Parts: sequence; structure tokens; C-alpha cells
Amino acid sequence: MTPPLAQTLAPQQPPSTFLARLGWQMHHNPKVDLWIAWGGMVIFYILFGVVFVMMTHVIPPPSPAWSTQRILSWFDTYRSGLLNGFAVTFLITGLSALCNALIGYSMSRMSVSKAFPIAYVILYSLSAIPGLLFCAILMSVAAMRPERDPQLIVWLYEGAMLTFVGTMGVFLLGTLVWLIAVLIDKNRVLPPWFGYLNICNLLTEVVVAPAWAARRGAFCWSGSIAFWVDTAIFAVYTTAFILVLRKMVQRENFGTGPLPD
Amino acid sequence: MTELSAAIAPLPPIPQESTPDSDPQPQSPSDLQRAHLSGVWAFVLLECLIFSAYFVIYMLYRMHAPQDFSRDQAHLSPTFGLINTLLLLTSSWLVAQAVANARAGKFRSALYTTYATTGLGAVFVGSKLTEWGHEIHHGFTFLSSDFFSFYFFLTGIHIVHVLVGFIFLTIALVRLRGTEPALAALEAAAVYWHMVDLLWVIIFALLYVVR
Repeated sequence: MTPPLAQTLAPQQPPSTFLARLGWQMHHNPKVDLWIAWGGMVIFYILFGVVFVMMTHVIPPPSPAWSTQRILSWFDTYRSGLLNGFAVTFLITGLSALCNALIGYSMSRMSVSKAFPIAYVILYSLSAIPGLLFCAILMSVAAMRPERDPQLIVWLYEGAMLTFVGTMGVFLLGTLVWLIAVLIDKNRVLPPWFGYLNICNLLTEVVVAPAWAARRGAFCWSGSIAFWVDTAIFAVYTTAFILVLRKMVQRENFGTGPLPD
Repeated sequence: MTELSAAIAPLPPIPQESTPDSDPQPQSPSDLQRAHLSGVWAFVLLECLIFSAYFVIYMLYRMHAPQDFSRDQAHLSPTFGLINTLLLLTSSWLVAQAVANARAGKFRSALYTTYATTGLGAVFVGSKLTEWGHEIHHGFTFLSSDFFSFYFFLTGIHIVHVLVGFIFLTIALVRLRGTEPALAALEAAAVYWHMVDLLWVIIFALLYVVR
């Protein structure tokens, strides 16, 4: 007696042990590349938080109003954390490509022109340079030689913080591209509320602009508005897009029309 | 008995008066349009939360230096503030009228009132920029003092929100001019525009009125 055809064609059940199940998923799950991209994105943001908050202490940012002596003392305190933390940054920056790729993929699944994902990926690939790597390079250079001219260290410190907190244009345009794509999409790849949430994130890039002029108060690069309120919005936004992209991967049917619920 | 039955029977529907602008019927919103409207509500609530944070921070700074803030505040023109408030309140009323007209199927009237809303918004932006020019001409800039930092920031970020409002209103105008006018876009624009108005009223109170 032969088994029914559907039973013959049905995929095997994944094995019970974790590693074997992982191996089975790698070979049989058609969404494995999407899940790798999503997992890479989560790992990137976790490591980004660990490096910038716990290792280098660049978040929350030190004040732009500090004296030269105070800045030198800050570098003395966190020298090893800065050097080790930014070494990790150089290792993990590539993971941001997975994040950009998955977001680009979300737009390529939408009922919008292919110009949207291409523009987004180009803009956000460029944004890693001023938003992440410049800061890491300048801070590492300043921390590397404590005997360097103090004025030069102050220059490196200010350059690093301005490029890290005050980077606006590329992030603003990149967010704008994603926001338009989500709002005009008919395939319901991502929920419309997320499109509107993009406006909040986009406006943070406007709110941070005074950090280039203010050296103290709410609008300087460590200020309650330019940094803390903006960072709170960014945290909500990042959590939201990680969750909606996870949902998108779950719903993906590799078709062309509206994504099933 | 039959006379009594006839007396309590429901009245036949009154025929609608035919008006030139009541021809197209309002379309019931699709699931996607409803999802967009819910998204706008969520966005508006989040924006109100963000502005609340700005207002609390402003009040904290003011509490630390009340005399400095009062001194700088005296340089602002309450007339400008009042005119701007009246402009936005009127525009808010107009956009509410537009929604009421559209719901009644009077799309042409809705179109005109939405144009008027946008026009008053543009006058508001012009008035605000004129006031900024006036302050800068008298030597008050973003870096002059904490008060003027907050003044330029709060009014500036509000203008940015007004500009975003123009996008909502433009989409509503395009939909109203279409062959099958939809209500959802206009309702979304109205919700957002009311938020812009509400935020301005609070900004006006904090910057111009509170002593």
C-alpha cells in the first residue's frame, strides 16, 4: 500500500534537537535568507547599544561645554573602552548591510517603483560613514595617543560627537523614501501606522539641527531635546521596525500581489 | 383605526434637494483607508506626546530662570501671536466645515473650504516668518538666550508641522477633485490640522501669555 501523494510530497518534520533543527531549517526553510537578514539586524542593534552605551560611553554623549581638561580626563577614564569598543564597531558595521537589505526587500515587495529600494539602500549605506564610522575613527584616534596636543584631542572629540549626533541629511532622506513607499503601497507589506511613525523619526533629524550651533542647554548635542527626546523616539522607531519586519517575513508568500495577513 | 395607524406611521423620507455640488455620493472607506486613518490618529497622539515633552522641558528651564525668561518674553509682540492664533483657529474651523460638507455629499463646498484652510495656513507661515524677521532685525537670534532658543525652536518645529499639514491637505484636495471623492483623506487631513492648531494654542500660551 503506497502513501497518498500529498503525504509523499510533504516536507519532513524538523528534528527535535536544536542544532539539527537549525540545520534542517537552513536546508528546507524558503525564508532562511530573510531570517538571517532579520537576525543580523537584531544582533547589529544589540551590539551597537552595548558598544556605544556600555563600552565607549558615547551614549549618553558627554557635554560640548566641557573644558579641555575635562575632555582629556574623560579620554583617560574610558581609553580602553573606547579602543576596544570601536574595534568591535569596525567588525560589526557590515551587519548594517543586512538591515538595509531587509528594508530594501520590504520595499521591493511593495507596489512601488524599484527606485525606492535602490535609493534607500544607497542612502543608508552612505549614512554608516558619517553616522557611525567617522565617530569611531575620530574617537579611536583621539584615544590612541594620550600625549597628543590637547587642542587636537578636543578637535577630534567635537568632530566625533557632531558627526555622530548631528548627522541629518542622509538619514532624513532615507527615512523619507521608506515613509513614502509604505504610505503609497497597495500590497500592505507594512502597516500604514508605521509609515506615519516614519514622520516622527524624520522630524528628529530636524530637531537635532540646532546641535551644530548650541554648546549648552536643551539643544546642544547632549541636550534634553536634541539628544534625549530624539533618542527616545529613535528607540521606539527601531523597536517598531524590527517587529514589523519580523511580521513581514512571517507573512511573505513570495508572490506579487497583496501580502496575506 | 386606520386613520390612527396612518398618523403614527413613519414619515416617508424627505427627498434631498438637488444642489449642483451634491451629485457624487461619498464612498465608504476601504480597509486600507481605515488603516490609514487609524495610523494618522496614532501619529497625532505620538506627536502630542513628543510636544508635551518639549513643553515640560521648556517649563523646567523657565522655572530655573523666571526673570530672564520674563525679560526676553517682553520683546515678543502679543499682537503677532494673537493674529496667528486667530488664523489657525479659523483654519481649523474651516477644515471641520469641509469634513461636514464632504459627509453631506457637498464635495464642491468641501473643496473650497479646504482651499481656504490651506490659504490661512500659508498666511500663518508668512506671518510667523515676518515675526521671525522682526525679532532677528532687533538682534534676537536662536543663540541670544535660553528663551529665544525655545522661541525659535518651538515656533520653527511647529512651522515644519504646518508644512507637513500642507501635504495632508494637498492629498485631500486631490482626492476631492477626483471622480470618486473619498472622505478618508480629508478626515485624516482634518485630524492632523486640528493637532497643528492645538499645539499652536499651547505654544502661544507658553511663549506669549504665561508670565
